[in-house]
Amino acid sequence: MRASTAVDPLLFAAVILLAGCWTAPVANVRPKGEPRLIQAAIAVESIKSPAIVQSVDIHTRTIVVRSPAEVSATVYKFGTKVSNFDQIKIGDEIQPTVVEELSVYVLDKGKLPGENGGLQTVEPHAKVLTVDSSYRLLTLQYPNGRKETFKVGLDARLAQMEAGDDVVIRTIEAVAVRVRSR
Amino acid sequence: MAETLTVRFRLRAAAAIVGALASLLSHPARCQISPNQANRITSAIGNRIEALTIEGGDLGLAGGRYRIRGSDDDMDMDVSKFSGSGEIGDPRSLGDLNIAWQPRVQGSIGTVDADSHSHSGSRNGVGGQFSTFAIEFGGGARIWLGDQFSLAPTLMGMYGHTSDDSTAAASSQTSQTQTVAAGANTRLGWNENTWTVRPALNIQYAITWNRTIFTLSSDATFFHTEFAGGSNSNMVEGNAGTLANGIDIDIPLRKQLYGHELRTGGYFSRTELLGDLKDGLDTEHVYEIHGRLVLDFLNQFWKVQWLGVGGSYVWGANFSGWTVGADAAFRF
Repeated sequence: MRASTAVDPLLFAAVILLAGCWTAPVANVRPKGEPRLIQAAIAVESIKSPAIVQSVDIHTRTIVVRSPAEVSATVYKFGTKVSNFDQIKIGDEIQPTVVEELSVYVLDKGKLPGENGGLQTVEPHAKVLTVDSSYRLLTLQYPNGRKETFKVGLDARLAQMEAGDDVVIRTIEAVAVRVRSR
Repeated sequence: MAETLTVRFRLRAAAAIVGALASLLSHPARCQISPNQANRITSAIGNRIEALTIEGGDLGLAGGRYRIRGSDDDMDMDVSKFSGSGEIGDPRSLGDLNIAWQPRVQGSIGTVDADSHSHSGSRNGVGGQFSTFAIEFGGGARIWLGDQFSLAPTLMGMYGHTSDDSTAAASSQTSQTQTVAAGANTRLGWNENTWTVRPALNIQYAITWNRTIFTLSSDATFFHTEFAGGSNSNMVEGNAGTLANGIDIDIPLRKQLYGHELRTGGYFSRTELLGDLKDGLDTEHVYEIHGRLVLDFLNQFWKVQWLGVGGSYVWGANFSGWTVGADAAFRF
């Protein structure tokens, strides 16, 4: 059995050499370029870990939850479209889907040039680990090592983002919730 | 590329492989044959069983519905197939080397129903019904030598069952000839069980330019098939292979439908057929061009990468065909 299209060994070796080496994704690298804000208010959805309801405020539509993995309690404000908000009681286990806004920065030791020539301190919540511009996936790594991948909108400037960029996350509101009564 | 964890199922026509069977069934048939003719026919039947088994059970060749119009007969083929392959998890470093690997699993299950009808007045035309069921499973590893370049050596095993479903009333001279050639059995409805080992190597290079993903790939596959029981012994044993080279283009369209971005693309490939597959199908190579229009569900709905429709045109020296079907991809 002989293939009619033989592969040239030199060509094959050249392809391997040109391929370079595989590099593991790392978030703790210094990104290129001057400190700057790459893009603010990138809207994403995040499904949070299950947590136990500590208190419910029907008037402000806020719920305080605590999860075993978190030291402090978390407060979620629920949007008006969350139809099963009224069913949530203290002690229930809930898993909210939350709308968040990401702001992606290149920072120099946590500093960003301010408008008056001074330095503005930014406290990032995560770092960019990988960027898939084709499928618009932005994977972040949190300080505890946890990774989370977000689908970003068509207007996200992913071509300007890279591993090591700092990300500030602002929670807007919960838009859906899965409730398990206990 | 951190991960390429794609599993696809395809419901597309295997016009190439299926079509070539027409020429196989067009061999002149006579009731009284010499030993040499009997050997040749036995070999041809064996090659056909190998080809049907590979067509029905191997994940490298597409499935679908096809009609062949030969010079002496027409043949309808239904190839139903569900197949998938993919890597599991993120690439893991191999020690201190700048090489990563992922476990890879592959599987396929399918059937082929072939129905051949002689042209009226044709002396060389043949008729008959053949059906094949085949299933294969295996795995290996994808080894990342670069961020875009990877190799995937795999090993699979396949079981196949092919039977001649021709009835006495509907049988043609070919069925009788098959019976004579087989020697050991005088009934028309023969059946054969086979097993096949399938080592293969996939080489892939993927680059992203302006959000469009170009994937160059080459697949070398070897099949060794052996008889594993049935009504006629010694009909099936042989080696076959394919060498497929192709390019896939995956283009985002920046237009959204129901919150999902439309993507288009497709691939072009040329597959060399080797050994008994080439002899059994009487062709040396097959071309396939495939187009698709899909919605991007990645990171939005379970493990689905995309869902949509796709179509292929397949052609070779002796046949051609179209197919349209569902196109889906998953990423685990």
